[in-house]
Amino acid sequence: MSVTFKDYRLVFQVASLGFFLLAAAPGLSLVVSVPRGGEQFTELWLLGPDRMAEGYPFNVQMGENYLVYVGLGNHMGGARYYAVYVKWRNQTEPLPNATTSMPSTLPMLYEFRALVSEGETWERPVTFSVLEASHYENSSRVDRLVINNRTVSVASSATWDSENRGYYYQLFFELYLYDLAEAQFRFHDRFVGIWLNMTG
Amino acid sequence: MPTRTLRVLAAILLLSVLSMILVCSASAASRQEVATSLIAEAEHAIVRAYEVVLGAERAGANVSGLLIDLTDAAGLAADARMVFEAGDFEEAIRCAELSLEVGDWVEEVAAELELEAVQAHAERVWWFVGVSVLGGAVVLCGALVGYRYFKRFYYRRLLKLRPRVG
Repeated sequence: MSVTFKDYRLVFQVASLGFFLLAAAPGLSLVVSVPRGGEQFTELWLLGPDRMAEGYPFNVQMGENYLVYVGLGNHMGGARYYAVYVKWRNQTEPLPNATTSMPSTLPMLYEFRALVSEGETWERPVTFSVLEASHYENSSRVDRLVINNRTVSVASSATWDSENRGYYYQLFFELYLYDLAEAQFRFHDRFVGIWLNMTG
Repeated sequence: MPTRTLRVLAAILLLSVLSMILVCSASAASRQEVATSLIAEAEHAIVRAYEVVLGAERAGANVSGLLIDLTDAAGLAADARMVFEAGDFEEAIRCAELSLEVGDWVEEVAAELELEAVQAHAERVWWFVGVSVLGGAVVLCGALVGYRYFKRFYYRRLLKLRPRVG
């Protein structure tokens, strides 16, 4: 099989087109946009007093101070405005509903706000203590908490859990994202929490 | 002291106490209103600054430092709201004023950064377009000249070939 002039011309044209595209690449990059790959999401975490996923407070006593760290990581593709609401519940009070994307109806006790760049993280310490609590027969009641030096009322009671042997409460953190279109924070479908056994 | 004078004095004292209570409650109510309005203003300033920061980020500016300052401002606004709910209007006013100040400052700086980023982007666009046009023209001319030389070379070589008799 012999190579004709037409074949050489085709090779020449293809090579020329390749070089032309290479030379025009900077200009073309302004017009052609490459879609961003990957899922957009936000991480939310809770760490123990040593900033590790261990050593979380569990058996709590009135007047004692406890420390945890709450943090978030932004992977939403740009800067975002977040709010983290701290809430308190007993075993029967509602948690956020993951199916309907609804936050817990319980009142917010403390609030953090954070504006985080893409790929960056934010973390804050949360110190808490039970300021006022009481036990009566097989129930316990927590009236006031101190969260980051701020006293808040909770008025929450728990009955004795005979299976797990304790009076259980949960301190949990809900994540909200600011929606510019609606001009308000919206629940971002993420929450973390720790169980606490109110021993004394 | 006669009884009548004592009565008058008691009445004056009572009136003074009542007027002081009235003035204090009116002042508390006005402080509450001031705090409410300042908190709302601070919240708006943060959102405005956030929008400008987003614009600057889209234009290609580095906004990490501004977001740290804006986080402080947002934290102060949240503090203001929490202390307001606890009834401490003076502290709420102080936090809201600080938040407003930082929020406004971030908005101003972000607007400047956005402008700089837009100008830098425009310069980059012109530079990219210039390089592309020049590069494309060089490749095109080179290809045309190269094609003519190759064509001439190919046919000259073809004419030099001796026919093969089979």
